[in-house]
Amino acid sequence: MDISGTVDTEVTNTAIEDEEAGAKPRRLFRINWGYMLSSWLGLVPFLLFCLLFELLPAVVVIQGSLTDNNTGDFTLDNYQHLLSQSNNLNAFQISVSISLVTALIGTVVGFMAAYGVYSLRSGWLRNFLVGFSSITANFAGVPLAFAFIATLGATGFITVAIQNWFHVNIYEDLHFSLYGFWGLVIVYVYFQLPLMVLIMLPALNALRPEWREAATNLGASGFIYWRRIALPILLPSLIAAAMLLFANAFGAYATAYALAQGNINIVPILIGYATAGNVQVDTGLGNALAVGMIVVLLAAVSLYVTLVRRASVWTGK
Amino acid sequence: MAVTTETRPARRLSFGLNRLVLLLVIIYLLLPLGATLAFGLSSPAGILYTFQQIFSDPDFWQTIQLSLVLSLASTLLGVILVAPTAYWVHLRLPKARPLMDFLTLIPFAMPAVILSLGLVEVYGTPNNLLNVLSFGLVPVLSNDPFNIVDTPQLLVCAYVIISLPFVYRPIENSLRAINTSTLTEAAYSLGSGWWRTFLTVIVPNIWPGVISAALLTFSTAMGEFTIASLFGLYTFPIYLDVTGQNDAHKAASLSVLSFILTLLCVLAIIFLVRRGPGRAGKEGDIEIAASK
Repeated sequence: MDISGTVDTEVTNTAIEDEEAGAKPRRLFRINWGYMLSSWLGLVPFLLFCLLFELLPAVVVIQGSLTDNNTGDFTLDNYQHLLSQSNNLNAFQISVSISLVTALIGTVVGFMAAYGVYSLRSGWLRNFLVGFSSITANFAGVPLAFAFIATLGATGFITVAIQNWFHVNIYEDLHFSLYGFWGLVIVYVYFQLPLMVLIMLPALNALRPEWREAATNLGASGFIYWRRIALPILLPSLIAAAMLLFANAFGAYATAYALAQGNINIVPILIGYATAGNVQVDTGLGNALAVGMIVVLLAAVSLYVTLVRRASVWTGK
Repeated sequence: MAVTTETRPARRLSFGLNRLVLLLVIIYLLLPLGATLAFGLSSPAGILYTFQQIFSDPDFWQTIQLSLVLSLASTLLGVILVAPTAYWVHLRLPKARPLMDFLTLIPFAMPAVILSLGLVEVYGTPNNLLNVLSFGLVPVLSNDPFNIVDTPQLLVCAYVIISLPFVYRPIENSLRAINTSTLTEAAYSLGSGWWRTFLTVIVPNIWPGVISAALLTFSTAMGEFTIASLFGLYTFPIYLDVTGQNDAHKAASLSVLSFILTLLCVLAIIFLVRRGPGRAGKEGDIEIAASK
């Protein structure tokens, strides 16, 4: 620290001499440079932490997907394996469809529920529902999976209740399974809906009542108000929220794992096998699967960032 | 007049629909909770016996203790790492804000399962490229005196990374909501140094953001399953999984217990944010943890 101090004074001294000689631009440049350097030094601990535990894992996954497991040479074989085994492609297809379906249900139904919360008159009920949404959005992973097994599993509470009341066994008669596609959708929607309510409430609060009054004064019906005013304003936040829900479902591992102990063919589960050193998936393939997942998510996140930027034009933040 | 007669039914209809959807959503969210509680209560041995069994299990206390320590460590490390950095960036280096946004958004594009795969590979296998890229720190951290491979320490670091978006955003929002530079200049002109300004002037003003960040990290770490399971560490969610697989009634009781834990965390967020000085954050600050 002492050394940098002396350097700084030296810089100032020479700068003053320069100023006397009439070289102003040089002085500005030099002093800003020293200030900038010390400013960036303050960021070093955080950047180093991110490098060690966030960026390097990403680098090693990408590098690993391009190297041969045994020889360590550059190769595209891992991607070739990924594409040639129908199991992997199937997993991607299931993962993407589950995420799309739950994001869509979450967005549409969650938005309507959020509007329901927004239009509530009583303040305490609104606060209560916001708190309830935070709790249920946080109630994910292993406990959520068990809750659904206790509810809709083969001997679950509702399964048994339906059988007692309507004499229909949803597993045998309707071919429903909690461990299949639609079962997973039902479980995922559980954390998507409250998340959507939490994301949309601030956006809805930004809608000014004056806009509705002005539209009504000019003769717009409720439908026209929504189509011409409210939806165009909310659309960027809606799409951004949908992207977030998509990413949320796409990366979910714990819920699916606890539900079927790894017997569901989705990408995170396959990557989990590779990490835990399972023989079915080799490391190179695991890395390639991870890169495939990152690519899908990056597309979603970059769309999210662009749309949030556009949304902020409207809300003026 | 024609206009009002047209709008009124439409408005009533749309309000009715939204209320109906809200009601259905609430029922959908309550149903599994109620059913789980009922399922746990209907245990043949009796709910009291089940809970007695759980509470007398040494693994239960051991794992909950480990999870509590891990969560506290992650919360402290996360806040200590992020809060001063966010303040520093806000004050001295606004140019670096896009970089901060980028670094704190990465966890959305890199789910926990990929992060743990990457961490296992970074610290598990020697790699020349990484030694250079990390300025020689990776070999130091993966060999004996400071070995962090598959240790709780590495888990803490991973938890800090996955909770970065939930830590940085509320703190950054709070910093934006207060007059950070004016406050700092006032403190400086009264003779206060950087750390003193930060601890005695800035932190009390961004308290709601800090509390929200801390509790979100805490609840994320308490419920995190993926990384702990892939590192082979026996934390509370792993115990939940292992115990629950053998006994459905016990699983239901444990889920109820876990729900109560989540409830306490969220209630703590709401109370501490409301009560804290400053009150810069509002509804938007209460967000979700990444324990999926």
